[in-house]
Amino acid sequence: MSNSFSKPGRWIAAGLALIAFTAVFYNLVKDNMPAGDVRKIEGYTPLPKATLQIAETIPVQEGGRIKPLSTFAGFTMLSFHGARSMEVQGDSAKLKITPTAWLMDTLFRPQLAVKMPTFRIDNSVVLEAIGVTARSKRDRYSYEEIEPARAKLIELAQSYETLKKTKKEAGQNDTLDPSQAQTIDLAYNLRSYESLLGYFGFARYGVKLTGSGKHGAPDQRADISALLITAPEIRKQVSSSKAQGTGLDPRIEDLLQQVFDAANFSKFGLILLPPANPKQPIWLSAGNAIYNTLTDTEGDAPLAIADIKLLESLARSVTEDEATFRTELTKVRDALAARATQRGEYRHIALEASYYRNAYFLNALVYFIIGTLTALAMWTVGKGKAGRILTWATFAATVTGLVYCIIAIVTRCIIMQRPPVGNLYDTTVFIATVVVFISLLIEWMTRRRFALGVAPILGTFFIILSRRFELGDAKDNMDPLVAVLNSNYWLTIHVLTITMGYAAGLLSAFLSFIYLLMRGLGLDDGDKDLRRSLTRAVYGMICLTLFLSLVGTVLGGVWANDSWGRFWGWDPKENGALLIVLWTLSILHARLGGYIREWGLHFASVFTAAVVTFSWWHVNFLGVGLHNYGFTAGKNSVYVFYAFVAAVLIFGVVVMAAEMSRKKAA
Amino acid sequence: MEFPETSPPSPKAPRSLPGRLFDLFSGFGLATITMLLLGLLTWFATLEQIDNGLYPTLTKYFDWKSLFLLPELNGKIVPLPLPGGYWVCAVLLVNLILGGVIRIRKGWSHAGNLISHFGIIFMLIGGGVSHHFSERGNMAVAEGESNNAAEDYFEYVVEIAEIKDGQPGPLRVIRGAQLTDLEGAKLRTFRLPDMPFDLEITSYLPNTVPVSATERAPDRGQLITDGYFLMEKPKLAKPEPAEQYTAGCYARVLLKDGTKSAPFILAGANFHPFTYRLGDRTFILDMRKRLWPMPFTLKLDQFTAAFHPGTMRPSKFVSKVTRSENGSDAKVTIQMNEPMRYEGLTFFQASYGPPGAGPGQKMYSVFEVVKNPADKWPEYSLWIVAFGMAVTFLTKLISFIAAGSRKKRHV
Repeated sequence: MSNSFSKPGRWIAAGLALIAFTAVFYNLVKDNMPAGDVRKIEGYTPLPKATLQIAETIPVQEGGRIKPLSTFAGFTMLSFHGARSMEVQGDSAKLKITPTAWLMDTLFRPQLAVKMPTFRIDNSVVLEAIGVTARSKRDRYSYEEIEPARAKLIELAQSYETLKKTKKEAGQNDTLDPSQAQTIDLAYNLRSYESLLGYFGFARYGVKLTGSGKHGAPDQRADISALLITAPEIRKQVSSSKAQGTGLDPRIEDLLQQVFDAANFSKFGLILLPPANPKQPIWLSAGNAIYNTLTDTEGDAPLAIADIKLLESLARSVTEDEATFRTELTKVRDALAARATQRGEYRHIALEASYYRNAYFLNALVYFIIGTLTALAMWTVGKGKAGRILTWATFAATVTGLVYCIIAIVTRCIIMQRPPVGNLYDTTVFIATVVVFISLLIEWMTRRRFALGVAPILGTFFIILSRRFELGDAKDNMDPLVAVLNSNYWLTIHVLTITMGYAAGLLSAFLSFIYLLMRGLGLDDGDKDLRRSLTRAVYGMICLTLFLSLVGTVLGGVWANDSWGRFWGWDPKENGALLIVLWTLSILHARLGGYIREWGLHFASVFTAAVVTFSWWHVNFLGVGLHNYGFTAGKNSVYVFYAFVAAVLIFGVVVMAAEMSRKKAA
Repeated sequence: MEFPETSPPSPKAPRSLPGRLFDLFSGFGLATITMLLLGLLTWFATLEQIDNGLYPTLTKYFDWKSLFLLPELNGKIVPLPLPGGYWVCAVLLVNLILGGVIRIRKGWSHAGNLISHFGIIFMLIGGGVSHHFSERGNMAVAEGESNNAAEDYFEYVVEIAEIKDGQPGPLRVIRGAQLTDLEGAKLRTFRLPDMPFDLEITSYLPNTVPVSATERAPDRGQLITDGYFLMEKPKLAKPEPAEQYTAGCYARVLLKDGTKSAPFILAGANFHPFTYRLGDRTFILDMRKRLWPMPFTLKLDQFTAAFHPGTMRPSKFVSKVTRSENGSDAKVTIQMNEPMRYEGLTFFQASYGPPGAGPGQKMYSVFEVVKNPADKWPEYSLWIVAFGMAVTFLTKLISFIAAGSRKKRHV
């Protein structure tokens, strides 16, 4: 940037940039913020942090892998609530509830959990249809508020599912309108939530021994674990009554009915019991363990009874003092962790729990935001002493953010035991990291401070994008990959290469955007050296984009040839990558032929962002092809981005035309 | 990095016509235009396949018969005539050879570009070879059973055989290439020298089903024969994959004495072949996907489908097979990302069944079978291109950094 200090235009530009940045930032994060008042829950006191930390490391099986309870809680909360935290008003203060705290309340303190604003419902039509009074958009509703309309909700959801099926069978477009799709989602969420709310019902209530209360006294209750000890005797009685053709003793029939009901309530929700047989890959829920023991289906009955007993003690201890609950929770965690360790399935649980606890990407975002603000100030004040301080501040903040990103990605690789990119979420955080890294490299080579400023801005943008994607998708992004992607070799050489190609293309576009902005607003004071430096950087990035995209695309073809039997299948994702290759090749050849010069190169480079966006994101919405992720959230954002690219190009053309007319006039 | 600035062309003596043609076909302008056109075609084809399906879209955009086309977006014609992709690729290949190999400036600084261009030419030629000479099909084998023929994915053929002692005799096959152009009223007579009749075929439809005239009246005046007519399958909101197309046509037997039989339908959707009796001789005529004999037999010893625990997300598909040829057996494992390559044929793990099979149920495995003379060419070309580009860009990067250092020293 130029050395002239405090030029008014520069301050105005910085102010405008700050407003634009704030507006974009607000728009991107507002979806995470719940609307409406904070809900007051009478008698609510949060579980202590130490207790929650024990709960975090309980292993559970979900999505084809073993993960910590905190991960399960995080994504379950995200899918119901649309955020990873919830605010409620306790008896004395406003409280921020973490996913693990929310799940623990749901499991162990359902009487409080049903009052929590768990369900995010954006579309008031859904609520009106089931007879619930709607509040503002993005507001959350408690189970207590929705439960009265449960029957209507299930009825509507079933009718919409039938409609979808009928349309599909008739070969018609089976896409439902948003309110219908959201009704189905809400019904599924409600059922999943109920499976968590009632999960420990078997432990809380046990079974009633009908007829045991003498002389008007209430009937006694027994633990299910105690009843399971008598399972062989019960089975014997059932067999003998069947053989003799006599009916089963009504008391035993009643008991059996109660046990099966209890098992059904705790059959889904949480799969947390590692089987004793190391060859059995599928873990059990409490309901599975009860059912298997009673029917002698499979597994180790004494172990299952011991597990159920442990869970009963835990569920009941919540009504006692906190220390007892924590002790019981520790016993459960240790028992399950020991068995998971024996099976070799507990290795990364603590690491994963700490990954989410430490929120590396959120920390990176904070530093990138600081870097963005200091960068804007750095560009504004020029190269004086303040400028130098701000340069170092920007550098420090950006490098810190980058380090956080690298730590997060490396941690994810260790947990997932695969290279860093395997799904769309992975691409966003990886691109954020690569873009920042390459920007810093460019800065090292050019020392002109434009790449340094670009780094935290793009870092902020991509980390927010990844958080938005995670919110919309609400699925664990560390779950194992499908068979065809299950190749660390190809994931490393093809997927990483192509993703770095996207990063290079987007960076080139953003550098050109900065060029057009500087030249258009006169922020560079006509400094030709600076312009040349930026142009060279853009040219280099286009070369890098071409190299990575071409090599990545052909490597993808080679992989496809090994997996699907064809090098090229005209799949939208493959076509998207080819478009990047063709576009960058066209730019370079047009440049070499003299058909485009400095302006043309930057216009073409800005358009590269649209080409990359089409390949990276847009093809996922098309609903065809082997690379289709089935992700549809945020489709409109892509069009907004295209509009932004078009606006930048129009701005550039206007600036160029104005310059040319000035030159002619001169 | 040296940013290549081009200087304005210096006045030169007028070029001869061949010289100007050479300039045109070897120039950066043509290279840029062909690549932009290819990009545009690829983009339109990507979007059009959503409405029209992949196979018809590819035929429209990249078949050699397609000289010009009008793209469609959301089912509406875009009034922008574009040249066919096949011919754009051909022009690009010529441009690459003339400009990227012959005309390009020679010397160490351009060695990387030259190598890259060679690699791309090799890749394009590989694509052409694959397009014209590769064959694809699939072979399903049940556990404990063997198979020695693959079925073509797309090509429908007409098979004619005489039944003797309850078994079909030698097959006469009319290949798809001789049938697909017989649309509408166009007909062709196929001479069958060792049969007592010839065959006349007309009104071929690539995706059709025989429909009973009592259920539905012909909508386009189709010929009704034996109570049925051929109806084109309706276009669905989600287009049917071309592998599921069922072709059909009308046929008529021409006896050597010049008499003709009544027309009849041959259709891929029919469960049974058409039976024709001539005196005491019986013949079957059938339309089906071409069977492709393999030079060896494949027996499926065991198929395993593994899923990530507690999910329906596949983690592994493994087929253990025995390949038998000339009395010798070889054990081979075929799985995702690890095909079997043998005698110019490649077997890929494609699918399996039956869906939702329980424990102990007999499984079958489906292999995609490909014969592609240019199977590995893209990979070889990749290394050439990558090497060439690495040389070019690294040279430029080093000179860019060196220029930067020199500048700093001057400061």
